[in-house]
Amino acid sequence: MVVAGIDIGSLSAEAVMLKDGELAAWSILPTGADSRRAAGQALVEALSRAGIAREQVAFVVATGYGRISVPFADRRVTEITCHARGAVYLVPGTRTVIDIGGQDSKVIRVGPRGVVEDFAMNDKCAAGTGRFMEVMARALETDLEGFNRLAEKAAKPAAISSVCTVFAESEVVSLIGQGTPREEIARGLCETVADRVAALAHRVGLVEEVVMTGGVAKSASVVAAVSRKLGVDLVIPAEPQIVGALGAALIAREFASQAKKPSGKTR
Amino acid sequence: MKVGFTTTIPVEVLFAAGVVPVDLNNVFITSPEAGALVEAAERAGYPRNVCAWIKGIYGAVLKDPELRTVVAVTQGDCSNTHALMETLELEKIRIVPFAYPYDRDRALLRAQVERLMEHFGVQWPAVNAMKAELDGVREKVREIDLLTYAEDRVTGEENHYYHVNCSDFQGDVAAYAGKVATFLKEAKNRRPRLARVRLGYIGVPPIFTDLYSYLEENGARVVYNETQRQFAMPYATQDLIEQYLLYTYPYGIFYRLEDIKREIARREIAGVIHYAQSFCFRQIEDLIIRRVLKVPVLTIEGDRPGPVDARTRIRVDAFLEMIG
Repeated sequence: MVVAGIDIGSLSAEAVMLKDGELAAWSILPTGADSRRAAGQALVEALSRAGIAREQVAFVVATGYGRISVPFADRRVTEITCHARGAVYLVPGTRTVIDIGGQDSKVIRVGPRGVVEDFAMNDKCAAGTGRFMEVMARALETDLEGFNRLAEKAAKPAAISSVCTVFAESEVVSLIGQGTPREEIARGLCETVADRVAALAHRVGLVEEVVMTGGVAKSASVVAAVSRKLGVDLVIPAEPQIVGALGAALIAREFASQAKKPSGKTR
Repeated sequence: MKVGFTTTIPVEVLFAAGVVPVDLNNVFITSPEAGALVEAAERAGYPRNVCAWIKGIYGAVLKDPELRTVVAVTQGDCSNTHALMETLELEKIRIVPFAYPYDRDRALLRAQVERLMEHFGVQWPAVNAMKAELDGVREKVREIDLLTYAEDRVTGEENHYYHVNCSDFQGDVAAYAGKVATFLKEAKNRRPRLARVRLGYIGVPPIFTDLYSYLEENGARVVYNETQRQFAMPYATQDLIEQYLLYTYPYGIFYRLEDIKREIARREIAGVIHYAQSFCFRQIEDLIIRRVLKVPVLTIEGDRPGPVDARTRIRVDAFLEMIG
């Protein structure tokens, strides 16, 4: 049986194919301005990589901000539930999931049986998110990978006082003007992201084992800063960006195995 | 003559004085141009990072030439009201201050109520007679509440509507009593509609226009509207001072939480939505609420009037998945 999970985020769209309960393939594409098209392309790419025909897909669960815009979804589930499900599948002892996505960061506390017990999301601002890092990378005249390389080279972080994306960008420009090394600025920005995440984590109550998901988990400097501020080791999945889509695919498998498609309105 | 007020006050005094009480919050939020009222305040110089309710009230007062007097609650609500009073005074609006004593001191509250009575030129017999009349309507609204949480015949939005309007009885007690009676008659004959998830709603009424319907569409129902219920004075008592001492909203979070905990248990509530207005001091109190309550709490924040935004929807959806 083949099922799919599609995660349409603000920056990237991911698709995960499960075949007979095993991870068959995945894809990661930029969402762009058309999330509907991004969902279709992500699915097509994952199908192609798995060598599976569209007709073979028994059930599709969509998640992420664009979940409503996935016309071929059989069910829509929030990314809170999907990230928890995906993380527990990959790391069975997971009790806390930290997900830093494109436009939000969230901390999810998971019960011993893998059920979501509580969660907290960032305020209505981009501070501490992937978008924040993207904007800061641009201010440092590099991309996200370059940003991470810079941060890793820094001996110490520059002090960044603002967490607002707009004000922090001005602060970065000002620091560059003062001759602060770009490496230190990048490292300082990683620290501000970690500060925001740590505050969220304390709000829901941190329980180990802690898994970090989302694209920002690929940044070793952010991971190290979060780990240091929380005083715990973080488990990073091999591909942290697809955990939400993986969770969606796992939920799709459950629905498909119930051999019934839900009727009526779905969220 | 219309007299506006900034949050629930002993409205018996205003009715006894023969004036038309107007809850300015209701005028603001039910206005088809609620957003424009906020913008009017910002054009006048109100900062962007100030509660939209305060700005909406300011805009609402200035838009209605019949509103020349406002009772402003200076203690027991928020301190932004002080600047609201001053900016309205600048526009030649007559301000009558009213303060709920923080420590729920009976003598101080009596002094405040009597000062209000003196201002409007009314005596206790008239005020008490008015209280008896209003209590008749409040009793009927308690029946609506019962039909919500005990019989599943009333939606959370209807519950909200009939409670929230008890702050000013829409300015006409007899007409409002008639509306309540008509609704009750119809609601009693409805077939119960069970909700998958029973929720409590705590905090000030939402600035979102479609929160209740969104929840109902997703299988959840608010069976407890904390503050709105308080506006309808849920603790039946003959004494007016006692009534406004039992009223929880102006007296600090711990006193409110006693009522909230009691009602969560009585109404078999699975989770609570705590609404906090952007830039409101009550956002700080959220940490107390989350620590004290033993049921899951979702905190949501609203800024401007309008439908529930995508970010809030995702929180609500996830919360319902979690507890449903």
